[in-house]
Amino acid sequence: MHNPRWKVAALLSGLAMVAAACGGGGGDTGGDAGDGAAPTGTITVWARDSQQVFMSKLVDLYNKNHEVQAKVTVIPAASFVQKLGTAASSGSGPDVASIDLVYAPYFASVGALEDITELADALPYKDALSPSHRALSTWEGQTYALPFTAEASALYYNKDLFTKAGLDPEKPPTTYAEIREAAQKIRALGDDYYGFTFAGACGGCNVFELTPHVWASGGDVLSADGKQASLDSPQVTAALQLYRDMWTDGSIPSAAKNDAGTQQIPLFTSGKLGMTPLGAFAIPTVEEAKINFGVTPLPGQDGGTGSFAGGDVISVMSGTKNAAGAQDFVKWVTDAEAQDFLAHNGSVPVRTDLVGSIYAPQGEPYAVFGELMGIGKTPYSVVENPIFNDNNGPWIKMINDATFGGDVAGAQAAAQQAAQALIDDAG
Amino acid sequence: MTSLAPGRALRPPGSPPAPRTGRGRRRSASRRRALLGLALAAPALVLVTVFFLVPLVLTFWMSLHNWPLMGRARFVGLDNYSRAVGDENFLRALRFTLLYTVVITPVLLVLGLFLALLVRRPVRGARFFQSVFFMPVCIGLASGSFLWLYLGQSQIGPLFDLLRRAGLVDASDNLFADVTTALALVIAMVTWKVVGLQMLLLLSGLQSIPDEVVEAARIDGAGGWQLFRWITLPLLRPTLALVLVFSVAGSLLAFDQFFIMTGGGPSNSTITAVYQVYRISFTSFRLGYGAALSVLLMVILAAVSAVQMLLLRGTDHN
Repeated sequence: MHNPRWKVAALLSGLAMVAAACGGGGGDTGGDAGDGAAPTGTITVWARDSQQVFMSKLVDLYNKNHEVQAKVTVIPAASFVQKLGTAASSGSGPDVASIDLVYAPYFASVGALEDITELADALPYKDALSPSHRALSTWEGQTYALPFTAEASALYYNKDLFTKAGLDPEKPPTTYAEIREAAQKIRALGDDYYGFTFAGACGGCNVFELTPHVWASGGDVLSADGKQASLDSPQVTAALQLYRDMWTDGSIPSAAKNDAGTQQIPLFTSGKLGMTPLGAFAIPTVEEAKINFGVTPLPGQDGGTGSFAGGDVISVMSGTKNAAGAQDFVKWVTDAEAQDFLAHNGSVPVRTDLVGSIYAPQGEPYAVFGELMGIGKTPYSVVENPIFNDNNGPWIKMINDATFGGDVAGAQAAAQQAAQALIDDAG
Repeated sequence: MTSLAPGRALRPPGSPPAPRTGRGRRRSASRRRALLGLALAAPALVLVTVFFLVPLVLTFWMSLHNWPLMGRARFVGLDNYSRAVGDENFLRALRFTLLYTVVITPVLLVLGLFLALLVRRPVRGARFFQSVFFMPVCIGLASGSFLWLYLGQSQIGPLFDLLRRAGLVDASDNLFADVTTALALVIAMVTWKVVGLQMLLLLSGLQSIPDEVVEAARIDGAGGWQLFRWITLPLLRPTLALVLVFSVAGSLLAFDQFFIMTGGGPSNSTITAVYQVYRISFTSFRLGYGAALSVLLMVILAAVSAVQMLLLRGTDHN
């Protein structure tokens, strides 16, 4: 349906690049290559409202020192994918979009993103970019996005409660058994004390918080190519059983049942919750609440660590009228200048080579998250949204039914079947 | 033949022009009237075409395709429909929607009628209560849902606090974590939100019952209950049927209240048919399949409404 438009767009952007290349090669012999082909004009950038705080400041920083002037449009997070999809298919999309990395394979697979393999390969720090972001930006061997912002998952624990419960606050749990034991002991401190909580009505939260356990135990929820679901694997069973056990112990508050991702932080900052898995985004709030806390990697069943690599990748959209400008912008956001800004405004750097200099010095928890970025994983699938992020999808239903219902095997079998059906449908 | 205008073509060539009879004049006058009627109806016709017929045809056209959010749509004939018949998720959503409709309809009807009878009496304050009962109708369904979501929230909701003080729930309970209490909260919200409209409609029905009939029945010695059973209720039946059609159609299309208040939970037990259409279309991006489900839903709704209309007509003949 959109083929003619893609062709025109490809042709136009091709011409633009040729023009830019000619300008650089022919005219400017004195300056370096970057100056010679300095792109101009304006570009539009779409981002989710969850990035509102830093996005406009980041773009101001860019606009100050560049010919190209970028303009940000903020889209409500809940409808970002629909809006971007609709706009892209009608040719009214932005030049650049910051996309939750889990959706990158989908957008690349439908031809909405420009192939920027050449640009990506030419980056001197290419190999230092978050491996999971890079994997998600790849579709059929070509690169369609660059890593932009990042988020890792880890276990927050309350050191004061650990001490009070007779646990060593400097020795956070490293196995399932230790998590469960710590949860029980903290629960025993009193009626309104709880050992652990998670967001039982939020698919996206749990792909962030529960899958690291599975990875750390050597398992997975999807095959590497995304074609085969493995929600019925023994590693998933063990992780679910941990949640189930903590629920039957009474370590988990009933609020977890329909927490859509809003209660974990308030519960933790109340000072009466022992442990909860969260991302680096929670650090400022928890520090503000004056909680004496620690952050430790999410363990596997008998050891090992895992983390989810979340965040955004940034793409040049197919059909952009200013491909050179758009490329310049997406390249700049991985620069040290931009990453340093982001590191101080709520994002883990996507550059593992910069973590030590711009991120870890901010404090111990930051160091943990920065470190985790190097091992972070993300399920790769064009149907990530319906399987994992959908709050009515098979993933969260499985966690719910297993934890609160107790039929772990049954919940796994049903979820496996539903997830595989979604994968097969798309393929 | 120079003229092909209707009515002239049948006249044999060469014959003298037909005298202008009164009938002919009437006919051209009626034609003018018809044209005028058409002109007057044109705006409505355009509106209906643009906002109803075109989307309807488009939806049906989409439903015959595998239609992704982006990329090429592929014609698949009736595949989407045959898939829907065996789609356990859709069927479950339909069953839940029917359950919701069956539970909420009598609540709305009985309470609406009760309120209408209550505020009909010309006592002091009746007008005030009419307004009070009607006020929530003016609030958006989404706003109302958010309000009740807050009210029923454990830890912070005032309604939850009341229930806790009354000893009906424990502090550790969670109204939205149980399908029965979650559904009860949604039904309470919707009742609060729309019962005022039902009351108003039924009130107008009550007021159209002639006083003489009531007087005559009274003289014949009918008491309050008899009056209600044999006079009010039968004469109110057309209005009741109208209210019924409204509320059943509204309930079968329920979406906002569940989307906001329960999010389909706990464990997907409160997903309505429209909610499922939304999920298929905008979570899975299977727009063609979503369109097919909407068409099926429309057919079901049309059938249910038709049955209710027949019942309405039946009462008219009595």
